[in-house]
Amino acid sequence: MQYRVEPGIAWLAHELGPMTLLYHRRSGITHMVSEPVPQILDALNATGPADAGAVARHLAAHFDLSAEGGIEAIVAARLEELAGLGLIRIGAA
Amino acid sequence: MKHALTLRVGPAVFRVGSPWASPLDALARLYSGYPDASDEPADFTVRLRPLKPWRRHVRPSIFITGDHSLADAAPMALAHGLLAAEMGMNLQMALGWRRHLLLHAATVEKDGRALILSGESGSGKSTLAALLGERGWRLMGDEFALVDLAGGGLWPFPRLVSLKNAAIEAVRGVAGEGRLGPLMAATAKGDIRHLIPRPEHVAAMDRPAPPTLILFPRFGAEDSAARPVDPAECFVRLTQASTNYVALGEAGFRALTGLVSSVPAVAIDYASGAEGIAMVEALWDEAR
Repeated sequence: MQYRVEPGIAWLAHELGPMTLLYHRRSGITHMVSEPVPQILDALNATGPADAGAVARHLAAHFDLSAEGGIEAIVAARLEELAGLGLIRIGAA
Repeated sequence: MKHALTLRVGPAVFRVGSPWASPLDALARLYSGYPDASDEPADFTVRLRPLKPWRRHVRPSIFITGDHSLADAAPMALAHGLLAAEMGMNLQMALGWRRHLLLHAATVEKDGRALILSGESGSGKSTLAALLGERGWRLMGDEFALVDLAGGGLWPFPRLVSLKNAAIEAVRGVAGEGRLGPLMAATAKGDIRHLIPRPEHVAAMDRPAPPTLILFPRFGAEDSAARPVDPAECFVRLTQASTNYVALGEAGFRALTGLVSSVPAVAIDYASGAEGIAMVEALWDEAR
């Protein structure tokens, strides 16, 4: 499954300690998320359209990740949730 | 409307109309020290209507309408007409105001900086704000905190303070009888009297102040306690306390994240007015 972020600024992010607030411009809804969601969104922004495996590899290259072998499954689950919320889109274009 | 009155409270101008003279006469008396707004265009219209035309004379009941109204609002007795007018004005602000981020909170100011007291009805925020207003603080408002969307400053909304039940005596003891309105007994919220803010606080109603501390008071606890509220929890609490956060969209998000990121917050439980005041003033001294 490929995911992508919408062009332009889809959301505004504001960090509040361990939590990050995401204001989604299209829906006007504010989401409160914690690690690793902001990092996954940043990674997807950096890779362009990508599947969970590519996002997980990008994260592994930038963070010291400890969840041996489980990273891709975690990323896949979060990507599916984010697409369900409308924060990211399914498909390459 | 046969009788009408235009009032300005802070930045908001209300035109209140009614077929009965009595609620407007009471309102005019209590707001006599406010600036003359008779020539200003109204932001909101509040109408106190009879439930049915013939009910204007037989067991008169007031129904609150206006630019914005609630579908399931219950009618009120004419004897509580002053309360209906106040509720009608609050309702217009809560549902229609878009020029500031509106928080359901009382605000007071000292040395040019503002304290926000946010809580639901019964938390004691009105009483605390009224008592602080008699102790050298400037009462900015007991119901709505108006957060500037661009600069983050707090704008006053010093309407009449609504005092309920035991709070009436507590405030009368320090403010005296002269600034209290008539007793409205056995309303849906119990006994109510309104307090007219001090004249110097009304005169300062166009002077904003930057927020310095946010408190979430809770009255009626057995033991007093103070607990720091982290910015994320503060954000959630204040979105719940805001009547227009969603409607304001991105501007509301920017204003509220700016507020909770820059101003410390504490939740306080207190058992009596005196204890509440002592806690507020101690926390204020720490925050300065």
